[in-house]
Amino acid sequence: MKKHFILIILTICLGAELAVLLLFALRGVSARQDAVEINEALHAIQEDWGHMETHRSSTALDYAVLDGEGHVLFRTKPGLSESINQAVVHRDTILDIYDGGCIAGKLLVYNDTEETLMSGRRTAAFGLGLLMIVQTCICICFTVYLERMIIRPFQKMKDFARRVAGGNLDIPLEMDRHNLFGAFTESFDLMRAELKKARRAEAEANAAKKELVAKLSHDIKTPVASIQAAAEVGAALAERAGEGYPQTGRAASGSSEQKTALEGSRENYLQIIRKAEQINTLVSNLFTATLEELEQLTVMPADMEGQELEEILKDADYLGRGNAARIPDCLLYADRLRLQQVFDNIFVNSYKYAGTRIHVTVRRAGGYLAVDIEDFGGGVDGDELPLLKEKFRRGSNAAKTEGAGLGLYLSDYFMKEMQGDILVENGEQGLRVTVLILLSGVVA
Amino acid sequence: MRKCFLIAASNLRRAKGQTVAIVALMLFASAMLNLWLMLSMDYKRNFDRYHDKLNAEHVTLMLGSRSSDVLAFARDTLEQDGRVVQYCMEDVLCTVGSFAYNGGEMNTEFVILEKESALERQVGKVEIVEEGDCTSGVYLPMLYGMNGNIAVGETIDLTIGGNTVSYTVCGFLNSVMAGSHNCSLCAFLLTEDCYAELEEKGYAPASTLVSVRIGDKSESEDFEAALKNAVSAGFPEVRTRSNSYALVSSSRYISQMICSGIVSAMAFFVTVIALVVIASNVMNYIQENMRNLGALKAIGYRSREIVASLLMQFLGVVLLTALGGIGLSYCLFPAVNVMMVAQTGIPYEIHFLSLPFCVSLGIVGGAVALAVWLSARRIRKIDPVIALRQGVLTHNFKQNHVPLERTRLPLQPALALKTTFSRAKQNVTTCITMLVLSLVVVFAGLMVENVIVDMEPFIHLIVGETADSCVNVNVSAEDAFLALMEEEKAVEKVYLYHSVEVAHGDREGNILMCMLSDDFSTVNNQDVCFEGRFPRYDNEVAIAGKYAGEKKLEIGDEITLAAEGQEGRYVICGFTQISNNLGKDCLMTRSGFERMGKLGDVSYYLNMAEGEDIDAFHERVRSGLGKDVNAVIDVYSTVHGAASVYVSLMEIIVAAVLAVGGAVVVFVLYLLVRTLLNSKKRDYGILKALGFTTGQLVLQTAASFLPAVVLSAAAGLTVCAAIINPLTALFLRGIGIVKCTFTVPLGWIAAAGAGMILFTFGASCLLSLRIRRIAPVTLLRGEV
Amino acid sequence: MGNILLKTESLSKSFSSGGVLQHVLKNIDLQLYEGDFTVIMGASGAGKSTLLYALSGMDTPSLGTILFDGQVISDYSSDALAVFRRKSCGFVFQQIYLIDGMSVMDNVLAAGLLVNRDKKALIARAKELFRAVDIPEEAWRKFPAQLSGGEAQRVGIVRALINSPRILFADEPTGALNSKTGLDVLDTLTRFNSQGQSVVMVTHDMRSARRGNRILYLKDGAVLGECDLGKYVHGDRSRHEKLSAFLEEMGW
Repeated sequence: MKKHFILIILTICLGAELAVLLLFALRGVSARQDAVEINEALHAIQEDWGHMETHRSSTALDYAVLDGEGHVLFRTKPGLSESINQAVVHRDTILDIYDGGCIAGKLLVYNDTEETLMSGRRTAAFGLGLLMIVQTCICICFTVYLERMIIRPFQKMKDFARRVAGGNLDIPLEMDRHNLFGAFTESFDLMRAELKKARRAEAEANAAKKELVAKLSHDIKTPVASIQAAAEVGAALAERAGEGYPQTGRAASGSSEQKTALEGSRENYLQIIRKAEQINTLVSNLFTATLEELEQLTVMPADMEGQELEEILKDADYLGRGNAARIPDCLLYADRLRLQQVFDNIFVNSYKYAGTRIHVTVRRAGGYLAVDIEDFGGGVDGDELPLLKEKFRRGSNAAKTEGAGLGLYLSDYFMKEMQGDILVENGEQGLRVTVLILLSGVVA
Repeated sequence: MRKCFLIAASNLRRAKGQTVAIVALMLFASAMLNLWLMLSMDYKRNFDRYHDKLNAEHVTLMLGSRSSDVLAFARDTLEQDGRVVQYCMEDVLCTVGSFAYNGGEMNTEFVILEKESALERQVGKVEIVEEGDCTSGVYLPMLYGMNGNIAVGETIDLTIGGNTVSYTVCGFLNSVMAGSHNCSLCAFLLTEDCYAELEEKGYAPASTLVSVRIGDKSESEDFEAALKNAVSAGFPEVRTRSNSYALVSSSRYISQMICSGIVSAMAFFVTVIALVVIASNVMNYIQENMRNLGALKAIGYRSREIVASLLMQFLGVVLLTALGGIGLSYCLFPAVNVMMVAQTGIPYEIHFLSLPFCVSLGIVGGAVALAVWLSARRIRKIDPVIALRQGVLTHNFKQNHVPLERTRLPLQPALALKTTFSRAKQNVTTCITMLVLSLVVVFAGLMVENVIVDMEPFIHLIVGETADSCVNVNVSAEDAFLALMEEEKAVEKVYLYHSVEVAHGDREGNILMCMLSDDFSTVNNQDVCFEGRFPRYDNEVAIAGKYAGEKKLEIGDEITLAAEGQEGRYVICGFTQISNNLGKDCLMTRSGFERMGKLGDVSYYLNMAEGEDIDAFHERVRSGLGKDVNAVIDVYSTVHGAASVYVSLMEIIVAAVLAVGGAVVVFVLYLLVRTLLNSKKRDYGILKALGFTTGQLVLQTAASFLPAVVLSAAAGLTVCAAIINPLTALFLRGIGIVKCTFTVPLGWIAAAGAGMILFTFGASCLLSLRIRRIAPVTLLRGEV
Repeated sequence: MGNILLKTESLSKSFSSGGVLQHVLKNIDLQLYEGDFTVIMGASGAGKSTLLYALSGMDTPSLGTILFDGQVISDYSSDALAVFRRKSCGFVFQQIYLIDGMSVMDNVLAAGLLVNRDKKALIARAKELFRAVDIPEEAWRKFPAQLSGGEAQRVGIVRALINSPRILFADEPTGALNSKTGLDVLDTLTRFNSQGQSVVMVTHDMRSARRGNRILYLKDGAVLGECDLGKYVHGDRSRHEKLSAFLEEMGW
């Protein structure tokens, strides 16, 4: 940036110098006189003719006025041409002054071209000089800048390169952020760092490789050795048994006995394999069968926001007999669908058997969120309570209403699957069902 | 090619917002460009089309006589001249007249023709563009029917030669050479009965209209001068009025010229901004996608292909946009056309123009291609390995600008300044935009101050001398008139301001309108001479700067002028600018003119006291001097009536320019803020994590633009305030204005500068509200 | 055991990704005490960092409440949270997150000046902290890119402590460092803790965890168990054994 800046200033200076020179060379010496001013002066003089003593110059011109005899009637300042001859010599402008149609005198307008030229030349020389000084200053500044920014850093780099060449990778290259070659030097230093890193990594990798090879060879050696040993023993046994039969023909009966024994033990081995296979099939059959049965009642608990419970309760209580309970902020571990079924069942039961208002409270109970649902129907007999959750079991007051008696049994099953629970007890006013839902993240 | 297309498509998808902004900018730019090209390339050609269609004359000469001597002389002159192709003479009634128009009074030379014969003319035919069903009445030039000023069927009062007559407006006409007050001759058609009646009354002198077609229309001015010289040399007492193709074709298209000038300037600036935006976009893209580009290169794309994809991406968008922009320009054109026709008075039918279409597409496409190519060259320098590692090349030893440890600034401004200093390119874009905006603001201020709020400077510039009233009396009654004015209380100032025609040059001279006054220090408009001074002595003349430039005359030169056959030599003492005669006029003292000829009648301009009824005053003058009063003109109403067209034009232009300027700034800021936020997302995430609130970061972002905005606005406004007058003069050069002397409303500009800064600050605050969406957690989750 | 500094009640945090709601934190009830060096451990994906961000007011919980010094901060607006963070919390990040465009000193001051207007005092404190973490003076004006990882992280600690926060949060502060520099950083944290600074650190590195006096083990978004190491001396072998036993029990 700085380099550009200097270049730009230098170019501007050069441009200005060229412009000055060009102006100086090409400027036509504008020796043009202001004809309008002279015309004005002439008219003013002609108006004042006859009483020239009251004449005052109204223009910036310097002039002298001569009468018919060559006497000076008026002059703007001393030192001007005061006769026609002087005017001719000085290249002044000479005009006739008319009075009443005839020439009455002369107007000598002073020629100041020379002075104008001189002052122009002075200005140009002064400007040029100034520009040159500026230019020189810039050049000096630039040299100093180059010295500081390029030459010195390079000096530093030389030492650095020598050190790296000598294998000393620990001393970093000092960096100057004003340095023109900041990025450049940085990459040098990066190179050094990378070299150093590479060297270390190489050493580490070598060590690790050796270690791994040693470990693996040991690990593999052990099982291979035992297999080898077993194989050797087996081979030796088989060889010995095989050699016995053809060589000792007389001992045929013995060998056949031996043979039967061998065959018997092989039969036993085969039997074991077959049975094991059978067990395996049976287990897998059993597994698939249970799986099929359970599929309709799968419970897949997942994390669920507590607020969702509010909706579930609202949906379940479609007659609106319960109160809206405040549910504390929490994350539940439950299967939304099954939970809905559970609460549907509880509310429907209450509608069926009690038909009263329902009081719902939600509270935290340890690692659970407990939902108490109590109606005002008086409850059931104390000894019936534990049986309510069983399959096909209905309360004594259920005779007149339809139902299979599966509801609470299933609810109980669902809640257990969600690692929760369902409690049925007699409350103060009626039957109280408490659903315990596991809070997410709590180890049951 | 397919590969390029894939890259381009994915780039476009990722930078939707930027694409939208570029599209909007280019839409503006191409619409303006096409509008300008249509205005400058075809609009004036329309004049030639009508000129040919109506077989219009190149030179119109109105002779205030029907005597056979004069006519024979004219006929001989025309027939002897080899340049003449065809001519036609017609009996007409002609005098100065006026009527109420556009809230003022229209005062011009009425050329009254009989309807049927005018429609049948061989040369300089008149056509009817709108016609009612009445059978007796007047047809006006169509210009006066525009904008619902005068409608068919209305009754209009025409003051003809000092007498008022009422006619029903039967319709509107189009005449190429005499269709508006700008033509110096203004045609009116009367139905046969009305014409006969008017001729009977003798309100307007019986005259002859000579329409001449010449072979080479570029000689129209020379021919006009020669013809007129010949007639006035032979018959000095015959009143003549004339115009030429050159005069009419330029004077009828002044507003078209101004408008296309402004539109071109807007098109230029918007295009430049769009290009800067595109270029910075490309560079930004390269910076941000260094790694991807490296990857592309690594899998075998050549730089050329990547650049081509960028080119295709931008060119595709821009060319499509340019098509839309050109469509937009056709939507805008009718509105512009209505404005234009209100001044030209020549109907223009909008049609598709293929040349401007191609040229604007070419310019837009070429410029964008160049900008993309230039800024995408850096891609070639990307080395895949380095780019993939990202860092070594891009990393630079940044300076720690505004160290918090030492600065005295509070934390927020200091952090904003840090951002400012680290984004040089963006600052340049901001500066350029603000410079353009300041030019727009200064121009708007100038126009509001000098044209819309106070018409006076504008009128002084365009019309030259104005007063409240002008009375033309015969020389014989001059003393009586002055004595009467002496007594008249309503008159504050009365001075001679008479115009006569003088010829400059020997044979093929030019006719200059020469304004005479006894003493120019008494005239109202002292700005007429923009260089040198008013003539003071009888051998001095001030001539139009434009004319002097054409003839290479300088102050101090002596020129020969002629009037009534007499010649006189005069020293040029000053340059004037009056657009009334399109830069062909001069000023002289009365005694100076009388060295050449005598005046038969003289016009005096009068300043009236506040609240005086000018019509009543005119009545008093007429009754006091009787037959010696040739004409009285309500100058004030005339001038204001004519100028109001320009004022409404200017109002629209100022509004449009300001709206476009504001919109452009918002777009550019949008892009800048977007790139800033993109590149500083990580920093802002960290700062938010450390506890900076959204509000603080928004202010910081907006404030980081402020230094560039404030500096460039200050510099821009100062420079623009200094150069706006010469710049306006450049615009108005065509109508003879060489130097503008509009007052530059410094207060307005200062207020506008403050407004601009607040506006940009507010806009950048709003635009950087996106910071709200940067959440510290997204940074921490590594989603940045 | 000091006062309760941070307390959560049923803190849960859920994210929806691709339309599926994921629950990362589940009903966490937790109390953090003043002056403690609390370490949050767990396998990756257990929700350690999420818990840290929620505790530190970087993020708002989906459910539940967080109380800082008795003030409920979980329903603060984002701006109020920003003010809370700048005044009461210090942060040390795994990726360090110094601002590249600012010098080391400015990085620290930018955080400091937000709270403290007294620049002189602030600079004095910054210098004191720099010395305390062993950042040499010539590094103060360097840019983060010119520092080594360990230095940068120590600068990060200085930045976190510049406003004397009530609590310092560190998210795997040694994660991006090699073992030697990581150790330095841990030493620094331990030292500040011994001077009374409350620290909450997330890590999955046992060596780092050893520095804490209270270890919380997170699994699947819930606190599986905790272990008190406060009664063992630093560097004591039993401390290490106790931790190993605890982690083994947790299924580490």
